[in-house]
Amino acid sequence: MSSKPAPEIQLTIDGRPVSVPAGTTIFDAARINGIPIPTLCHQQNENPVGVCRVCVVDVGQRVYAASCIRQVEPGMTVKTSTEQVQAARHTLIELLMSDHPAPCARQQHSGDCELERLAEAAAIGQPRFPRRATPRGKDDSSAVIAVDHESCILCDRCIRGCDDIRHNWVLARRGKGYQAGVAFDNNLPMAESSCVSCGECMVSCPTGALTNKRVVGTELGQGDVLDPTELLHLPIFQNVSGTFLELNQKAVVKRHYRAGDIICREGEFGSTAFYILEGKAEVFLSSPMAHVRTEGSSKGFFSRLKSMLAPRQQHSRSEESNRPFIPIDASVDLPYDSPIAELGPGDLFGEMTCMSYYPRSATVRAKTDGVMLEMLRNVLDILQRNKTFRAQLERTYRTRALDSHLRSVPIFASLTKNFIDHLRDRVELVRFSPGQVICRQGEPADSFYLIRIGFVKVSEERPGGDLILAYLARGGYFGEIALLSGSPRTATCTALDHVEVVRILREDFELMLERFPEVRASLEKVAHERLEENRRRITQIQNLPVDQFLANGLMEAQSLLVLDLDRCTRCDQCVRACADAHDGVSRLVREGLRFDKYLVATSCRQCRDPLCMVGCPVGSIRRRNTLEVIIEDWCIGCGLCANNCPYGNINLHPFPVELDDPDHPGRMIAGTRVKATSCDLCHDHAEPSCVYACPHDAAHRVNPPEFFAGLLKQSSPLNRS
Amino acid sequence: MFEELRAIQRQFGYLPADQLQQLAAKLGLPLSRIHSVASFYPHFYLTQPARAEVRVCADMSCHLRGGQELKTNLEQAFRGNEDVSIRQVSCLGRCDSAPALAINDHIYCGLDAPSSLSKVRDVLSGHPLPAEPRDHPRAPVASDPYAGSPNYSVVRRFVETRDWSGIIAVLKASGLRGMGGAGFPTGNKWEIVRNAPGKEKYIVCNADESEPGTIKDRFIMETVPYLVIEGMITAGLVTGARQGILYIRHEYEEPKEILQQEIDRCYREGLLGPHILGSDLAFDLEIFISPGGYICGEESALLEAIEGKRAEPRNKPPFPGTNGLWNQPTVINNVETFTFATAILARGGDWFKTQGKNGSTGMKFVGISGDVQHPGVFEVPMGTPYSELIYECAGGVLDNRELLAFAPSGPSSGYLPASMADLTLDWNAVAAAGSMVGSGAIVVCAAGRCMLDMALNAVRFYRNESCGKCVPCRMGSQKMVEMLTGWTQGQASSTDLQLIDELSTAMKLTSICGLGQVVPVPILSVLKHFPAVVEEHITQRRCSAGVCFPKRGAA
Repeated sequence: MSSKPAPEIQLTIDGRPVSVPAGTTIFDAARINGIPIPTLCHQQNENPVGVCRVCVVDVGQRVYAASCIRQVEPGMTVKTSTEQVQAARHTLIELLMSDHPAPCARQQHSGDCELERLAEAAAIGQPRFPRRATPRGKDDSSAVIAVDHESCILCDRCIRGCDDIRHNWVLARRGKGYQAGVAFDNNLPMAESSCVSCGECMVSCPTGALTNKRVVGTELGQGDVLDPTELLHLPIFQNVSGTFLELNQKAVVKRHYRAGDIICREGEFGSTAFYILEGKAEVFLSSPMAHVRTEGSSKGFFSRLKSMLAPRQQHSRSEESNRPFIPIDASVDLPYDSPIAELGPGDLFGEMTCMSYYPRSATVRAKTDGVMLEMLRNVLDILQRNKTFRAQLERTYRTRALDSHLRSVPIFASLTKNFIDHLRDRVELVRFSPGQVICRQGEPADSFYLIRIGFVKVSEERPGGDLILAYLARGGYFGEIALLSGSPRTATCTALDHVEVVRILREDFELMLERFPEVRASLEKVAHERLEENRRRITQIQNLPVDQFLANGLMEAQSLLVLDLDRCTRCDQCVRACADAHDGVSRLVREGLRFDKYLVATSCRQCRDPLCMVGCPVGSIRRRNTLEVIIEDWCIGCGLCANNCPYGNINLHPFPVELDDPDHPGRMIAGTRVKATSCDLCHDHAEPSCVYACPHDAAHRVNPPEFFAGLLKQSSPLNRS
Repeated sequence: MFEELRAIQRQFGYLPADQLQQLAAKLGLPLSRIHSVASFYPHFYLTQPARAEVRVCADMSCHLRGGQELKTNLEQAFRGNEDVSIRQVSCLGRCDSAPALAINDHIYCGLDAPSSLSKVRDVLSGHPLPAEPRDHPRAPVASDPYAGSPNYSVVRRFVETRDWSGIIAVLKASGLRGMGGAGFPTGNKWEIVRNAPGKEKYIVCNADESEPGTIKDRFIMETVPYLVIEGMITAGLVTGARQGILYIRHEYEEPKEILQQEIDRCYREGLLGPHILGSDLAFDLEIFISPGGYICGEESALLEAIEGKRAEPRNKPPFPGTNGLWNQPTVINNVETFTFATAILARGGDWFKTQGKNGSTGMKFVGISGDVQHPGVFEVPMGTPYSELIYECAGGVLDNRELLAFAPSGPSSGYLPASMADLTLDWNAVAAAGSMVGSGAIVVCAAGRCMLDMALNAVRFYRNESCGKCVPCRMGSQKMVEMLTGWTQGQASSTDLQLIDELSTAMKLTSICGLGQVVPVPILSVLKHFPAVVEEHITQRRCSAGVCFPKRGAA
């Protein structure tokens, strides 16, 4: 088919006769003929909208025309820069500048804020209009793009980039008039929206409203720098703006590995994730699969206990987990019995390390020669939000990890393969940003959740503040209570860091309960325990004069070691007894907060808000129902829990072990590995050694609410009268 | 989309986020689009509203008749009560019985503070709100060719003659112009649509009258609904459009019901539907309830709203005549225009031409409100002097005070001084005086009013109603309100007058639509006709009317 060329239109622009095809805009007609017209809302790759009005020209009518959108007409006389046209433009720029935080982020970073450039050209210094009185705010939620609504001029370029160019439809105007702004989805923070981090909005923005965040994390070591076009050829970077990738060029390198090379080691801190392009890698745990066991004679006054490493088969503790799989920071779980798995092309590992800076959860070694992308969180975020990549990730998860993940939850152990196959296509992977609410107390329940990545805080809204009920880690689950009882959500679950959950819809959950009565029975048991536990804590809180406790963080404690200073002679027998009981490493320090005549010694308080539980890269720290901290066999000794404990109550205990000799493959050498331990209340003894050892009856292990409640009553000035 | 949003709001009291999400999935639209639209219209709540949502009008006529004082009274009475939210609302179209307020969308007029307080307390104690009392009986309309008993003779004749060119010729000859404010010749508009190529064509009636002082369309729809409907059918038959949409503001519940009854009757009698009066001619007519906002009265914004979008005016050209609803040729006329089109076609073009006086031709419905004895809607010959309208039709200035100023057509015409009251209701004469006949929303200010305060009130209305699409209107209206507020509070800068002048010029020349272009009109008219008033505020920080400047001793 041949299309007829559009007829030529003759017109005059700034006194010059010009001829352009019909349908051409005045802006383009002028541009083609070397007459530049300033604009803010118009750019060549987007459909014109004519909203900034900076490109107005005089076409001899009552009002000016926006040249970006107005088409030429035969015989039109266009004046692009009369004194009046320039004056009107000057006023528009001055209006915009009066609300603009000059220099804006773009101007500061790269000196190319289009508004500030126009203002400078028009010699607009201090705008004469009153400045905006009400702030419009910033949105710092995205890992890659900084949003500063203060700098937004509502040119709609980002919206057109998102909608018309990338077809993502995340951005739109919100509100009306002077309150109007640009919003992600239904006015969500960018990271919580359905944004795919393609970067088109940021690339389109003329001001500092959307700017590229600096590349975050340690510098990537040497490696092949990737050209954006090379990345764009990978399906997982499809539909990402090339300019955006170019800005993030420093955040990704290509690395070549030889078979046997160690790619990362468990317990190391890092800030990168890896994506395998070619070759295979093995992921495994090199730490001994065992926990710290303390044993010895329970007789005798100062009997010496011995600490040793023991796997769960040899030494089973009360409520010992019999999880068959260990969750790690990759798309597979490791079997407890043989903690090794294989990763191949298309697999991503190190997401949690990269997004939330947790220690590496496992060691990865190249099995064959291979190529990987190593990336910082900027690029990881782009990848994680990419539609193609997400589809690939979901596929991998469904085929490789869903089974082990479900089966790691003890109550699901009985599910049949058939049923898991049924769930396979129906579960949904959903991402949440730090601080985002996953489900809210009081709202109707529609889903059950398994945690794939990250940490979830479970809390209950109480008058006077939220009460934290639990922290759940990878492999944990929540949402069953409301589904079982058919009532609204009993607690609020919030993402603590970058969280990804597996969502099982209500109907599938109900089907599961129907088909597998034993699942229902164990779920009901767990739900009952959780509810009971919550109720107990709440009762404690309600019965207490909490003011002073809260200030000292003591309310957090479930069990305290207190020393009666009236009786204590500072003889240190308690500390020595503890050290004696634990291979010479004391888990008790006779220092701490003073309350009345009592010293609250530093030893595990079994906190209500157990910060130590947050961040364990392999999920090896948990609590028993007695609230005692238990560290699972697959502790990799990274020390994060010890750092997280605000009271210094978790220690790292060194043990001699035999290790692979890195210089002589196949040979073993002597080395040291550490495992985390906390106060175990000397559970092999009748009572804790420290309490037992005190010759002055000054050391007591107490339940703080009861203990201090009595104390407060006595010391209250009202009761003294 | 709006029906869906209303249904959700009826069920939940607002639009919960998860419901919007579900609606997005149901309609196959992006969530951002739904939120963008819902957040544009103040009628939709995105968060749980208070138990009593009280909206007080304080625009022009209501401002003159104590709207602000009423709002202050309510605020004081319910301070700290979280169950009551008191906010300002733009003109509710009850200017003839000001002040107006809405409690949970029920509109009340002319209430004093004690009775509004008791209404709010009723709501809080769970009593259902009584319906708005129906208006007093209407006077017969002189222009009505059917004298109250419509027989749709214009439609009947067309079905027989099919003489569309004859109809266009009569309309052109009659000199009928658009009565919504812009005054575009009606015959020409219909002809453009008749000649425009297009698969579908549409007839849209703009019954969204929302400009302060404008109440005539409500009166027309309630008294002669059949003339409006017949005008729309005729326009459809003449242009070849088969679909008509009557776009009415959601606050006009009563006219909507009256119109719907008449539309139902037309369907029963074969005047609407696939075979009009048994012929092969078809025309359907439905009522579209506006999601709200003055900007929806701008014709292209109105079309955007029908299309389920944010009511943001389009860049023109192209005009609706060729690229209207769904990008098809569209006639969009005001209620009054359709009414007179029917009257002219029933009575003949000469009738309309002979109706004027003092050298003008035609009839006009005007609303007169503000400081007058008998506010209301009046059907008057073009050419009638404004003084006659104010003193004879509306019974003179309230309490026999002196006339200070009047706005011939609400805020968009600006204010004219009493000395110009002998001006006649004539398109050209009023334009020559630097104002406009517009929609005939005459608002009267008695002696003792502060004209700077009145200008600020009008500019504030535009600021509140700006859609925010283009920079000059979105930012200019806000900055102008802030500067004028400063003048009334003793904060004026020496450069302000110059800056207002520059800003006004830029807004007039560069705004996308009429709203942005007229924002400066009220203050420019006061600067022109009442320079001493502005002068005393700026240089002496004095308001002779005693309206402006924070009262001494007040917090």
